[in-house]
Amino acid sequence: MAVPHREFKGNSVSILGVGGSTLGDVGSNSEAQRIVHEAVDAGINFFDNAWEYHNGRSEERLGRALRGYREKVFLMSKVCTHGRSKSVGLSQLEDSLRRLQTDHLDLWQVHEVIYDNDPDLIFAPDGVIEALVQAKQQGKVRYVGFTGHKDPDIHLKMLSHNFPFDTVQMPLNPFDKSYRSFQDLVVPEALRQGIRPIGMKSMGGGGEPVQRGAATPAELLTYAMSVPGVLTTVSGIDSYDVFKQNLAIAEKFTPMSAAQMHELERRVAAIAGDGRLELFKSTKYYDAAVGRQQHGFPPPSELPA
Amino acid sequence: MQGESSGEGTAPILKRKFGRHADTISALGLGGHHLGDAATVDEAVRIVHEAVDGGITFFDNAWEYNDHRSEEFLGAGLRGGWRDRVFLMTKVCTHGRDASVGMAQLEESLRRLQTDHLDLWQIHAITYDNDPELAYRKNGILEAFDKAKQQGKVRYVGFTGHKDPRLHARMIELGYPFDSIQFPINAFDAQFRSFQSRVLPMAVQRGIAVLGMKPMQGDGAPFHKADVKLSPEQALRFAMSVPGVTTTITGMESLDVLRQNLAFAQKFTPMTPDEMNATIAAVAPYAGDGRYETYKTSVAYDNVVTRQVHGFPIAGAHP
Repeated sequence: MAVPHREFKGNSVSILGVGGSTLGDVGSNSEAQRIVHEAVDAGINFFDNAWEYHNGRSEERLGRALRGYREKVFLMSKVCTHGRSKSVGLSQLEDSLRRLQTDHLDLWQVHEVIYDNDPDLIFAPDGVIEALVQAKQQGKVRYVGFTGHKDPDIHLKMLSHNFPFDTVQMPLNPFDKSYRSFQDLVVPEALRQGIRPIGMKSMGGGGEPVQRGAATPAELLTYAMSVPGVLTTVSGIDSYDVFKQNLAIAEKFTPMSAAQMHELERRVAAIAGDGRLELFKSTKYYDAAVGRQQHGFPPPSELPA
Repeated sequence: MQGESSGEGTAPILKRKFGRHADTISALGLGGHHLGDAATVDEAVRIVHEAVDGGITFFDNAWEYNDHRSEEFLGAGLRGGWRDRVFLMTKVCTHGRDASVGMAQLEESLRRLQTDHLDLWQIHAITYDNDPELAYRKNGILEAFDKAKQQGKVRYVGFTGHKDPRLHARMIELGYPFDSIQFPINAFDAQFRSFQSRVLPMAVQRGIAVLGMKPMQGDGAPFHKADVKLSPEQALRFAMSVPGVTTTITGMESLDVLRQNLAFAQKFTPMTPDEMNATIAAVAPYAGDGRYETYKTSVAYDNVVTRQVHGFPIAGAHP
């Protein structure tokens, strides 16, 4: 059994992706490497990362693990200017390429578009959008996109510029359907523009809904991978056990029907509709410190309760 | 500014036209929640009388405030002819339940407020993503609005909420002819999930009166921080100056606070656009991440009945 793939602009991308932040949480370098190698051997080729994850450790780990495997994967990393200039972005790209031990990325996304003024900063003259364009021209990145977990309106503001993004990453899970829904508000507009959605936080970001017994990992991951139009689902895999669990779910994947999806949405609505399972959309505590700094905000530890 | 005139007689507080209607209301409104926090009913009565004599005509309340003490206190203050000098609003708290629940709450509100009609009846706290659908559903609260208007028990209707501009926009877009709409208006809102950017223009375009609330963030928290360069007076003046706003509702739980606010409102002049931009810039370092607008983000600000009706656990049970 192999993990199913989807077509993306002439490429083939696995429906499950390995998340870069949690790869940095895995207990040891050797365990991380084992996860990467077994994932690729099982047919997973989408690898997520970001310049700022674990101060570079996530990219370094993935880079080491990809020696000899690079050409088998669809490699993504994210740029973390958080509003700073094009040159900051281009210099981060060089860092990412070096750490990932490659000469190009398949996908380069603007990380964490989460503040109301982020779209303005990103599209400002000398903003990071110009870095995306230049990196593409130089052949250092093949495709570009952006990510964020905060507010569908901010994603829509990004999309309103009609920039030719290739992908847009967002939380996709059944809880999202009853609270500030990316799936309802952003996915249709992205698809209308020919931009492929990438899902994340399929289990609520930290697996809390699973711990509470709201739904099983299989239900939640299968749901996320079934969202019509979704390219892949980036999954937080912080141990070999979680990897084996999610791999088995992806290998057995058959899409949920619309009715099955609605049923799961209805079942979780009573605990999801006030947003308590998606605190990344409401509180500041899930926002990266680097991004807060660039906006002049103190780290979460210094905030009022 | 169009449609504005100073008050009659000794009451110099600016009045503004109530949306598309001929009524005018004072640019400062007295919040009902805090009135229920007054030390005694006598103090509440004195607050109401001094407020009216000082030029405040707009009185806010809600069926559920302080287990109904807020309406009772206000009713005591309006007895004896004072009712006719005010524009009286209270809110209905079905939170998605049937029209009949709303009609029963209306009778209770009228009885506590000691009147036979409200000038304005608003849906309280549109909070959750499915609240617009629940309001518009068959046998929902909007049917109670129609009925109460037909019966002459309420003159105008509207809705309120502090959570999410998208929900307010949805309420308007679904088409009911609301007369008013209430939401947070302050310099922080201007740069975080902004009601004044997203909802206010829709309301003004339709002749819906805009009722501002939380001019001081609801709890005044920023003013206790040395790093926030904004005075309470500046905050109130900003809120009252936002183009399109009809009144600004603020809490006054004591005669002292009332007198401060009256003095301020009586000498109010609107900020210039430059002053407004400077105020927005002054709070920018504390506003863009929403830390002083947690009513938009945290479940801790959802009221208990709202949560119960939607099946969500109440205080202590949420993270």
